Amino acid sequence: MKISLNWIKNYVDLSGISSDDITDKLTISGLEVEDIEDKAKLFDNFVVGYVKERKKHPNADKLSVCIVSTGEEDLNVVCGAPNVAAGQKIAFAKIGAVVPNGGFKITKAKLRGEVSMGMICSANELGISDDHSGIMVLDPSLPAGMPLAEALGLNDVVFELGITPNRPDALCHIGVARDLAAIFGRKMTLPEVDLKEIEEDINGAASIEVENTTGCPRYTAKVVKNVTVKESPEWLKQRLVAIGLRPINNIVDITNFILHEAGQPLHAFDLDMLKDHKIVVKNAMEGESFVTLDSKERKLSAADLMICDAAKPVAIAGVMGGENSEVTPETKNVLIESAYFNPSSIRKTAKRLILSTDASYRFERGTDPNNTLYAASRAAQLMAELGGGEVLKGTIDVYPQKIEPLKVNLRYARITTVMGFEIAEPDVKNILLGLGFTILSENKDSLDVEVPTYRPDIEREVDLIEEVARIYGYDKIPPVERIAIALEEKTDQSAYQDKLRETANSLGFYEMITNSLQPKEIASITGKTIDMLNPDSLDMASLRTSLLPGALIAVAKNLNVGQKDLMLFEVGHVFNKIAPEIKSFDDFSEENKIGFIITGKAQTTQWYEKERAFDIYDLKGLLSAFLDKIGLDNELKDLYTHVENKNFDYTFAKLYKDTVVGFGGAVSKDVLKKFDINQEVFAFEFNIEALKSIQLEPKRFKELLKYPKIVRDCAFILDRQITCEEVVNVIRKGSSALLKKVELFDIFESGNLGNNKKSMAFSLEYFDESRTLKDEEVEKDFNRAVETVKKELNAEFRGI
Amino acid sequence: MLQTISETNKNFSNEISQVSDLKQLENLRIKYLSRKGIIATLFEDLKTVPKEDKPAVGKSLNELRNSVQTQFDTLKEKLEALSGNNKQAVDFTLPGRGKSVGSKHILIQTLDEIKTIFRGLGFSIAEGPELESDYNNFSALNFAPDHPARDMQDTFFINKDYLLRTHTSPVQIRVMQNQQPPVRAIMPGKVYRNEAISARSYCLFHQVEGLCVDKGVTFAELKGTLVSFARQFYGSGFKYRFRPSFFPFTEPSAEMDITCFLCKGKGCRMCKQTGWLEILGCGMVDPNVFKNVGYDSEKYTGYAFGMGIERIAILKYDIPDIRLYFENDLRFLKQF
Ligand SMILES: [Zn+2]
Repeated sequence: MKISLNWIKNYVDLSGISSDDITDKLTISGLEVEDIEDKAKLFDNFVVGYVKERKKHPNADKLSVCIVSTGEEDLNVVCGAPNVAAGQKIAFAKIGAVVPNGGFKITKAKLRGEVSMGMICSANELGISDDHSGIMVLDPSLPAGMPLAEALGLNDVVFELGITPNRPDALCHIGVARDLAAIFGRKMTLPEVDLKEIEEDINGAASIEVENTTGCPRYTAKVVKNVTVKESPEWLKQRLVAIGLRPINNIVDITNFILHEAGQPLHAFDLDMLKDHKIVVKNAMEGESFVTLDSKERKLSAADLMICDAAKPVAIAGVMGGENSEVTPETKNVLIESAYFNPSSIRKTAKRLILSTDASYRFERGTDPNNTLYAASRAAQLMAELGGGEVLKGTIDVYPQKIEPLKVNLRYARITTVMGFEIAEPDVKNILLGLGFTILSENKDSLDVEVPTYRPDIEREVDLIEEVARIYGYDKIPPVERIAIALEEKTDQSAYQDKLRETANSLGFYEMITNSLQPKEIASITGKTIDMLNPDSLDMASLRTSLLPGALIAVAKNLNVGQKDLMLFEVGHVFNKIAPEIKSFDDFSEENKIGFIITGKAQTTQWYEKERAFDIYDLKGLLSAFLDKIGLDNELKDLYTHVENKNFDYTFAKLYKDTVVGFGGAVSKDVLKKFDINQEVFAFEFNIEALKSIQLEPKRFKELLKYPKIVRDCAFILDRQITCEEVVNVIRKGSSALLKKVELFDIFESGNLGNNKKSMAFSLEYFDESRTLKDEEVEKDFNRAVETVKKELNAEFRGI
Repeated sequence: MLQTISETNKNFSNEISQVSDLKQLENLRIKYLSRKGIIATLFEDLKTVPKEDKPAVGKSLNELRNSVQTQFDTLKEKLEALSGNNKQAVDFTLPGRGKSVGSKHILIQTLDEIKTIFRGLGFSIAEGPELESDYNNFSALNFAPDHPARDMQDTFFINKDYLLRTHTSPVQIRVMQNQQPPVRAIMPGKVYRNEAISARSYCLFHQVEGLCVDKGVTFAELKGTLVSFARQFYGSGFKYRFRPSFFPFTEPSAEMDITCFLCKGKGCRMCKQTGWLEILGCGMVDPNVFKNVGYDSEKYTGYAFGMGIERIAILKYDIPDIRLYFENDLRFLKQF
């Protein structure tokens, strides 16, 4: 919101305080200055000039040569405007000035042989109006040499304030002035209303009926007759232009002026357009349509509060007026509406219509119900003064139940309890009085404070404490550094997943974070999506159902930029719908997962090694190393006969007891195609909570083996379809407990072995924790194992 | 004879000092130490020395031979090492056999730093769901229904009662519902805002909130804790300020600013000429929030704070576009 410092100075005396100081103090007391526009800086090097002499240019018919006095010196200036004349006071740009409209810099120049030491400006060149018919002639009483910004009243500083939603009172100049008065300890002076009313009574000219007094607790109206709708005077236009508003006509400008002065939105109706000169405040009919001031047709709902006349709606209450009753150049008689509407009712309507106006913005935050009469009267007075209107006698004020100011008790001790610092009693009182609060009574411990109705945010003691603290200054409260003595047990719910991250890093995986919101067709690939009701874009229509699609998007992105060899992982939540409609936390699942993805080369060609692409065994090995590091490799079983999954060409799962805790494999070509990926991708996802919940035996030291291990190798020629696991199982079956480990170390197929045959070589490790084994007993054990394999798997023993 | 020995010694010292490679050294060896070299010749000459002089000359000659041999051996070793006699076996300029270690995402690394500091200040770490109820995300945190405060956070709704959390504050509610004071915990996590994706805003970001509730917790302590955090995280040499703000769940509320990294407080584009950068929001827990979780606000006071990780990392690492965090370009990931 824009606030003009010159405007504010009408209500509070800020003499002797610099605009920098004002900026700082506003910010550190809660009205954050987001931007500052110093208008005077635009008019550096512009002054009021006095045209001492004007003569014709000797070499050009359309030019003249003037002697311009800047108060300090007389300068020769060439001017092209037809209306320049001796004796005028004009807007003069000195050497070095930058012309606001066009941005060019004034330099010493020679025009057709005559030296020119500056420029006499038009209003257009100054960026003040569109008038470029000639130079701007100023008030002759202005002294030559006066800075132009000051002469034109443009020496303004305009603040862009970020007003938090709890401060509707600060959405106007008087409100900001009030904070400044409290901060600097200065006095406020509000404009007084001095109405001259004519004999005719308002009750004969208009009538008001409020059907919905919940939506509209107060409706105040004044009537002004015989106004002339015309351009506003300079001072009013200047006020509005300063804060970025476009002047329209005196009537509309006055309502805008009052809104930005006192924070009360007003609406001016053309009284003669209101059927039976009547206003009825009631709810709209469901589905009714209405054309607002901006010529747009709006569909209304029965919840929308409307201002109607005897026959039809004429305004959406508190939001926007209608085309059918707006003030036009022909308007003679005006009804001024100054109402207090229920904030939440206005907000619902404005939200539903997606129509936020200066009025609705204020009403939905809460205006002052007890300020409507002042605002209406002040507007009526200005309409009389600036439009030559006559104010009818009296006011129609429908206010069935007065909204009384709240009374709140404030204990001094409580300020100290909350702030950790004692603010002296006189300071507390001065701050509250400065902000317009009334102290109803007091004793040595506390104050009874009446809260003005322009502060709907102040309801409780703690709200008053904040008021006192913010004006006193947060920076004056010294920080206290207290060392926490951890009496309670400290927990870290993120520790486990952090351990998983570090383990993944140690294996070479980089961590990614992908968008958990995806287009529905992407998120649906892997599960039952939960969809957003109101996404800003369809690209974020659904929550991810698995980490896989996001990972594939990241892979595709990297392939696009030539990064083809990837080991990535992500930790994040995935969401799946369980019931068709979400009515409780049981109707959907939210699981924390860790997902791995590998693609490209496991090994690029190097001087010591040939390149090799990632395959499923890389994935298996990496997962096994990962699980080993977190103590789970022996706890989990592999399951290869997992249900078919259309997203994978082949899959496997990790099982704890009978529960699947992780799942993945080679991502199917069809899925990869959807992401424009044309290389193999392997992915796997674990449920972190499932891993975390596995109860591991507490780690204990195990005696280091004192006796030697004996290793025997063997190789077999087997049918090709026999799996490694089958052979290992048979070897174990044929062995005693002395066999501690079986490891495959070679596998190959070749024509020499025979059709559909392969060779597998295993290393068998024997030891006993309590003694040295004898060669003979190992030999016996080993032979038995070999014989069992030969017999049960129809294998040929190749020795070694 | 003794003089010849002494001269030989001198000559050898002279010549060996000129030797710079193995070849010259080999020539020197042939000259002095070979079977027909100078020293062998001298031993030959020893036979002609008078008998009474023999022990002395012999001793001197032996010393000469030992000294020459030692000097020769030492230099040979040195030259061999220098010239890399083992060159064919080890070429140190060959690239090493590659091993790669991954890294955590920069946002997680930043989060880790913050967690470490607060753990040191005695805080626990709590987490909670991202798909939350409207009650936990708004109502319990003193957001009145239909209050414009709800507009401060563009919300993704699933339906009228469920939404994607807009801050990690609902975890504060969950913690307080499950535990009586004292509470001292931070809540990191993803939060969502229903905004168009651009260089400056994204539909999700990471947040760390903190909550401390006990008897005698004050605004002054909030300031002390946060300044201590900021000094550890950003380093000394910065100024801090607290200015009033508004959050429905705290009263009084504040925002904490740090002097601008770029202009050191003079005013620049990054800090919009103010000289300050906003780093976090904070305040004293609103009594209504305590009421909603069944805490007695006359007995206990508390403070809460929250900061966005993306913004902190943008400031700290000068990252120009928030989307870089979520594109996961390996070239970006590897930088941190
Ligand atoms: Zn700066």
